[in-house]
Amino acid sequence: MPTVVLMDVSLSMTRPVSLDGSEEFQRKNLAVHGLTMLFEHMAANYRLEFTALVAFSSLWEHLVPFTRDYNALQEALSNLEDYDKTCVESALHGVSNIVQQEWGSSCPCQVVLVTDGSLGIGKGSLRHSLHTLKQRGDDKKFPLPFPFPAKMFIMCVANAEELQMTDAMDNLEELLRLSGGEGQIFTMEGPLCLKSVQAMFGRLIDQAYSPFHAVLHCGNLSSDVQVFPRPEPVVVDDEVEPMPRTVSTDLEIVGFIEIGDISSPPVISRHLVLPIAVNKEVDEVGTGTTDEPEEEASASQMAGKSPNFCVLLHGSLKVEGMVALVQLGPDWYGMLYSQADSKKKSNLMMSLFEPGPEPLPWLGKISHLGPISEAAENPYGEDDSKSPFPVQPQIKRSYAQNVTVWIKASGLQTDVQKILRNARKLPEKTQTFYKELNRLRKAALAFGFWELLKGVAELLERECTMLPDSAHPDAAFQLSHAAQQLKLASTGDSQYAAFDHNIAPMHTDFSS
Amino acid sequence: MKMFAVSHKTAFVVDHCPYMAESSRQQVECDVLTKSRAQGVIPLAPVSKSLWTCAVECSMEYCRILYDVYPTNKLVNYIVSDSEFHILNSWRQDDQSTHELMSALAAVGPPNPREDPECCSILHGLVAAVESLCKITELQHEKRIALMDTAERVANRGRIICLTNAKSDTHVRMLEDCIQETILEQNKLAAGSDRLMAIQQCELVLVHIYPQGEDTLVSDRPKKEISPLLTSEVHSVRAGRHLATKLNVLVQQHFDLASTTITNIPMKEEQHANTSANYDVELLHHRDAHLEFFKSGDLHMAGSTSRDSGLKETVTLKWCTPRTNSIELHYCTGAYRISPTDVNSRPSSCLTNFLLNGRSVLLEQPRKSGSKVISHMLSSHGGEIFLHVLNSTRSTLEDPPSISEGCGGRVTDYRITDFGEFMRENRLAPVPESSPDPSGKLPAERAKAQLERHTRYWPMIISQTTIFNMQAVVPLANLIVKETLTEEDVLTCQKTVYNLVDMERKNDPLPISTVGSRGKGPKRDEQYRIMWNELETLVKTHAGATDRHQRVLDCIVACRSKPPEEEDRKKRGRKREDKEDRTEKNGSKEADDKSWQDSERLKALDKEEQESEVIKDSPDSPEPPNKKPRLASEEVQPPEKAKGPVSLLALWTNRITAANSRKHQEFAGRVNSVNNKAELYQHLKDENGMDVHENGKAAR
Repeated sequence: MPTVVLMDVSLSMTRPVSLDGSEEFQRKNLAVHGLTMLFEHMAANYRLEFTALVAFSSLWEHLVPFTRDYNALQEALSNLEDYDKTCVESALHGVSNIVQQEWGSSCPCQVVLVTDGSLGIGKGSLRHSLHTLKQRGDDKKFPLPFPFPAKMFIMCVANAEELQMTDAMDNLEELLRLSGGEGQIFTMEGPLCLKSVQAMFGRLIDQAYSPFHAVLHCGNLSSDVQVFPRPEPVVVDDEVEPMPRTVSTDLEIVGFIEIGDISSPPVISRHLVLPIAVNKEVDEVGTGTTDEPEEEASASQMAGKSPNFCVLLHGSLKVEGMVALVQLGPDWYGMLYSQADSKKKSNLMMSLFEPGPEPLPWLGKISHLGPISEAAENPYGEDDSKSPFPVQPQIKRSYAQNVTVWIKASGLQTDVQKILRNARKLPEKTQTFYKELNRLRKAALAFGFWELLKGVAELLERECTMLPDSAHPDAAFQLSHAAQQLKLASTGDSQYAAFDHNIAPMHTDFSS
Repeated sequence: MKMFAVSHKTAFVVDHCPYMAESSRQQVECDVLTKSRAQGVIPLAPVSKSLWTCAVECSMEYCRILYDVYPTNKLVNYIVSDSEFHILNSWRQDDQSTHELMSALAAVGPPNPREDPECCSILHGLVAAVESLCKITELQHEKRIALMDTAERVANRGRIICLTNAKSDTHVRMLEDCIQETILEQNKLAAGSDRLMAIQQCELVLVHIYPQGEDTLVSDRPKKEISPLLTSEVHSVRAGRHLATKLNVLVQQHFDLASTTITNIPMKEEQHANTSANYDVELLHHRDAHLEFFKSGDLHMAGSTSRDSGLKETVTLKWCTPRTNSIELHYCTGAYRISPTDVNSRPSSCLTNFLLNGRSVLLEQPRKSGSKVISHMLSSHGGEIFLHVLNSTRSTLEDPPSISEGCGGRVTDYRITDFGEFMRENRLAPVPESSPDPSGKLPAERAKAQLERHTRYWPMIISQTTIFNMQAVVPLANLIVKETLTEEDVLTCQKTVYNLVDMERKNDPLPISTVGSRGKGPKRDEQYRIMWNELETLVKTHAGATDRHQRVLDCIVACRSKPPEEEDRKKRGRKREDKEDRTEKNGSKEADDKSWQDSERLKALDKEEQESEVIKDSPDSPEPPNKKPRLASEEVQPPEKAKGPVSLLALWTNRITAANSRKHQEFAGRVNSVNNKAELYQHLKDENGMDVHENGKAAR
């Protein structure tokens, strides 16, 4: 889930923070200090996150495009300049554009808005934007909610009390609500100082950037893993089940399925599954900038050399072309598979299915997938020549069962012509003739279209009179028999007009 | 869409009054004469559908699309109204199919034009529809039970689609009022019943049908709120294709559907097999398949060009010729069932048959910029066709660290092939819900239990194991993990053990890893000790499961080679005798230990093997009475008894080794070794004049 840091560089951010005696700080310095802490945390523990930095005042500037290079972000942060007044709306437009350009509109993003809570004055101020919300044309729509799923974290370098004195807090709450409500407003507790800004960003880190650690189990084999990005809680139907579902920290493999059988299933999210060394508190992803590089290196070398289940699993999944079905919680499943990128690198990936007992119709209910050893006969065949998948639905779909639709005249004409064509080839086409005739009869009865039955009966009688002399005598018998049966059906007489009744060919014997 | 949105329950109420028997006045020429036959033949007069026929076939088309896209949990209750109401099916899932409905409709037949119009009214049906909406569905029942104390979260909403011929706007208002009243009445009734639920929201969609060429007496009206419980909208439509179009639009609105037109489908012409023309096919599906387009605004609507479908908008996607194979795992963010708009047309059925035969097609999104993006895939699974949405934007997971860079990434001898085999054995298969469930566990739980059994002892790397590198152990290793063993399985396991004993006797080499050890690795008898230990470890983890598992362990403990020891051999000797004499002096325990003293252990084992074979072959023969105690006594023996007289095998091995060593030049390292340790890369020390030991790294 990429992050956009939206940094307020308006003049109000340069307001000094009153501290007893010591060095003088601006609010901006505090904000930079907090962001530095965030970037350091990400570099160490959340390294795969893409982050972009945008500075804004009345204009906005894309300082650092999405990157995993936290030094670059850090550097940009230290070179911030001061500008004029705050204009949140235009900045949010900027964020919207940047994210959509890079990730499209389905990728969830996090927006970290860092401000001092003075939200501009006059036109372009947040107050003004929110006031005029309803009087806008389609071309000047407010950028929230974003077209992509977003979480907005508003970091205020100010106390809650300070914000409540003006309407700033109300406006920020409204902003959060407009963004979809997923997110939070953070304010500083106690005096504005380095310590309290650290505490505030610490809360953000806990809330949004703590790595997700889990244990992957396959029976008695297991491995400690980090799942990146963090799987987010999911709400399927807020009416029936308003509590969001979260992925369990114990990921249990249920069994294995061929890639061809699972066949490109729809997933709600994808995650890397990275094995981590058990004894280390920080995870493996965040090597790179550490205080003791030598010790670190040897520790990771050690970890590299002791066998890990993830690597074994990944290797075999890749070689066999299979996926592992993994349970993420009650009635929630996903799959583990090997994902290769272009450069020979490959990885263990986990995709999450939609929560529910039957996420993929072609597998049936997951809870009803059992071990093949229980079956009397191997469902895959002794030589792997067959497969129990896909599971067939009980009723065929319309396109798989030759339904009759006469909404367009052409549909009806085609069906009548089919009967006539076969009628002219009697007795060779007796079977097809009656099959088509019965199909038409059934539909005509269901639609209450008795007139058609009479019409087709007349057509068949006419065909009978037009039979060439060379025609087989059976043809005439069958045609008049069929015509008569249709006429009887068209009276609605229950004896002849039953839906499940079929007109059978007349029994004739010309062999003797 | 919420589970219990209005779309969960749809009641169709179709007017069956005498008036509906009138002709729609839209004529269909069904006698299309070919030129060659046209002479002298009077063509059949065109037929025309009645209003009833039009209503029924359009409502069936509505249901067809609905059932194609939502095979479950979107339910239809079909009601026909004349002098009374006829309910053609129920909310039950089993009743939800067009075939069921067609069969019931055939039984109803067309309206009787001679029936007294005064007795007939659509009202009977509408009242029945409201009553029906109060009836609880299987899903509502199931969820109410599942949610227990929060059962009130299960909502009851529904829609009534009324196909009728109304007399006037006042008539329509009267119908609305009547429904409103009925809802209030029924809700009171429902409050006191378990099988009924009060209606929280009802949407009335009234479609007024009138013949072609007539003026309508009822005016269109958009959705309006009659009461908090009831909304109503009126559509006034001419019978025939206008009605069909209207219901097609309605089914899309009611079930959040959208339309995609696949263009450039190459198809062989019937007449000219060598050429292929390009066709278009329109499909309906859930509109989320277009989500990305809507948001990005990159929508290429074919506009209202769709031949006769009126206002309908459709997104055009282009057929892509490089087809995809099923082995590829696409990153797919959604899969939605489709229904072709024109199911019977030749292009539609060509496309659907192509897909039903198991082939998949990638679809390309034409973009304004002209760049090509593969955005969707059509594929069938089990006779159902799905439109898969493929992710076409940049991935946030790009350029991840390779798995070889992380934990365990530097290990090279993982048992990849063995684990592959393990995965094949632990593949899953659907178990019918009706099948018996002896353990009281769901199949998926049983699958997990199997994984647990199969992994009780499972070394991950080749150098950590001996037994799994040996073909000879395979039969036992495969069987021992089973939940229960048959008598035959036990015999197979025992045979495996005897086979190992035999190998040991013949001094066959073992595939012991030499990683981490110098020279030839451990001695042969040490290798066998390792192998037996490992085998014992494996079997011990399962011994507790059943008596038969325990017997396999007993067999191993009994047979595994223990370094010879006087007393041990004495005991064994005695037992051998016991067994030999069993037939004659059964039960006599005291026997002298004469000749066995000198015989070698392996011979005894060999003997035991033969004996056991005898037992094996005649499973009916009585269990030797003294077998158990013997095993017990052996188990308490200390495992390590290295001292003792040199065996013949050892003597022989030493002799052969000595002889062999004379035939080749000894390794320089071994010659120069101190305490059997040789220093490597000594020349480095010489060249650099540095003590390699000092920096502590090269010494290894």
